[in-house]
Amino acid sequence: MRRLRCGDAEAHAVDVRREKDSIHVMIDGAVHRLDVSAVAPGVFVLRRDVGVEVFHCVRDGGTVHLSWRGDTYRIEEEGEERRVSARPTSDALEAPMPGKVIKVCVEVGQEVAKGEEILVVEAMKMENALRAPRAGRIIAIDTHVGAAVAPGRILVQLGDAGRESSSPLVTPQQEE
Amino acid sequence: MRPSKLLIANRGEIAVRIARTCRAMSVPTVAVYSEADRDALHVRECDEARLIGPAEAAHSYLNIDTLVDAARHSGADAVHPGYGFLSESAAFAAAVRDAGLTFVGPPAEVHECMGDKARARRLMVRAGVPVLPGYDGSDQADATLRAEAEKLGWPLMIKPSRGGGGKGMRVVFGAVGFDSAVQTSRREALAAFGNEDLVLERFVERPRHVEVQVLADAEGEIVHLYERECSIQRRHQKVIEETPSPALTEALRSELCEAALVAARAAAYRNAGTVEFLFEPGGKFYFLEMNTRLQVEHAITEALTGLDLVRLQLEIAAGSAIPFEQGDVVSRGHALECRIYAEDPSRDDLPCPGQILHLVVPEGPGVRFDSGIGVGSHVTIHYDPMLAKLITWGNDRNELLERTDAALRQTVVLGVTTNLARLRKIVEHAAFREGALHTGFIDEQIADLSATRSELPPEALAAAAAASYGLRPDRSSMETAGQSSSSAADPWSELGGWRLGSSGAGRE
Repeated sequence: MRRLRCGDAEAHAVDVRREKDSIHVMIDGAVHRLDVSAVAPGVFVLRRDVGVEVFHCVRDGGTVHLSWRGDTYRIEEEGEERRVSARPTSDALEAPMPGKVIKVCVEVGQEVAKGEEILVVEAMKMENALRAPRAGRIIAIDTHVGAAVAPGRILVQLGDAGRESSSPLVTPQQEE
Repeated sequence: MRPSKLLIANRGEIAVRIARTCRAMSVPTVAVYSEADRDALHVRECDEARLIGPAEAAHSYLNIDTLVDAARHSGADAVHPGYGFLSESAAFAAAVRDAGLTFVGPPAEVHECMGDKARARRLMVRAGVPVLPGYDGSDQADATLRAEAEKLGWPLMIKPSRGGGGKGMRVVFGAVGFDSAVQTSRREALAAFGNEDLVLERFVERPRHVEVQVLADAEGEIVHLYERECSIQRRHQKVIEETPSPALTEALRSELCEAALVAARAAAYRNAGTVEFLFEPGGKFYFLEMNTRLQVEHAITEALTGLDLVRLQLEIAAGSAIPFEQGDVVSRGHALECRIYAEDPSRDDLPCPGQILHLVVPEGPGVRFDSGIGVGSHVTIHYDPMLAKLITWGNDRNELLERTDAALRQTVVLGVTTNLARLRKIVEHAAFREGALHTGFIDEQIADLSATRSELPPEALAAAAAASYGLRPDRSSMETAGQSSSSAADPWSELGGWRLGSSGAGRE
């Protein structure tokens, strides 16, 4: 039994069993019988009563990449997905993508308005500004100009404005 | 005439595309690559390859000395800069020339002049090419700029004179925000281009962007290869280009192409270049800038004219005359280019690095796919996120759009998030079908274009689960099961009718 999730949708309980001439896939208790075969690496054929459907699918660790009727989906095995991007609290600003920090616009203790630029990460020729999701006070900065950052890496902690924060900091997880 | 050996000072799809023409012309090629590009496709497509430095472009693809050394040591007699990187650098063109090599592009002086928006504007005014009302003077005092702005009226656009790519550009809607906008633009211009001079221009709302391809040889012979419309943009970067432009009447087209020839002549242009114009909704056009290089979107011009622009560039650079006259240039059918980017339109076009795990290239009548990636390619954070260009051609615009839609549906990229779904939405959009384009199209239709991605249908989830967990040909189990290739669990033994080199019935 696996729990598979696509995007923000609810995870589904999925169980796959090989039978004589078909594959039985149970999704949240409902059984789908499929006649699927691989025709080349990543290329599969689903046979129906009338006609066949070609789809493309590659599994990479706990992620299944699927191309179905022209749309691309990323299906994550639960647990795996949790590990990769544990959603931080809204007060922890994380790197949106791998890149290099090219500008830090704030200092610890500084009050920021909602939408104010906090820092700028550069990747693939583009500069992406990380902005304050709400008004508040910067309580920690865990990066510097020139630092290479991985997606999900927590860079800045935002606390409530107007009072000195004494709340213990969540230790930013260290990622390579 | 042609070079005897060419160094391609670029990477990705354009390096691959240049190498292919060279192969057809039997011109040996030298690739250059950074440490991040050891296994890149362009390295494999060239005859030789030279490591030029670390991943950071500033120390590799932008390092003039290293590139010129690489060209000298490899015995190349010509250098093609591609687009981006050093393609419009006067210093690079001069360094290549000073090393006794041929630069495939215009001379340094042309880069210098056209790279300065104020200078280019003044040149065009003298030549009689229409430019937007504006200020391009060298007096950059605060008071002067403010006075000129008041004279010009609002809204207006502030542009860095040496700028490009939208950096430092700002629209100002009234006197109130003007001074601070000037300060910010100056700061950004200085940081990005090393010069803080600004140009002021009247702001045109919902303009179209139409450009004309020109070609000039050493004798000063200049021809145009018609126009391309590039109005579909995001963050000032083009996403979809088409030719002919749906905005032009035949009369307007000749007028525009004629203006481009005048502009190119005034610039003493050489080799392939592009004159960009801004179109007002009413149909008036103004010189915007000249791109002194091969454009990303050159392939749609090739689709209409049947010409190979890279071949012409190499021949002209080697001293040949343009092998045809203006009257011989044909323009048949319609063509479109879709740029496939590794980016996520649902997350503000955030670049999406990763590894290409699976790739299906579209095929069919009128379909061309220029790509810099293959299965296994790593898309890194160091360079532009463009993966490939889909170039389609049709006898008319309707056939073109049908073919484009079909080709986009055929294209599969797994492993990195791409803008493929958005490209399809644009091409299917009613306003796009009508040809009602302008540079704010994506932003204006953003709600339509980034509509919630379709839910995964249960049947698709079932199929994916069956393929991933029911057949066992996944990446992890392939390795462990590799030894027992004859076991019943091996999916390849279960593939009825599919054999390599099969000489089955019905095959001649």
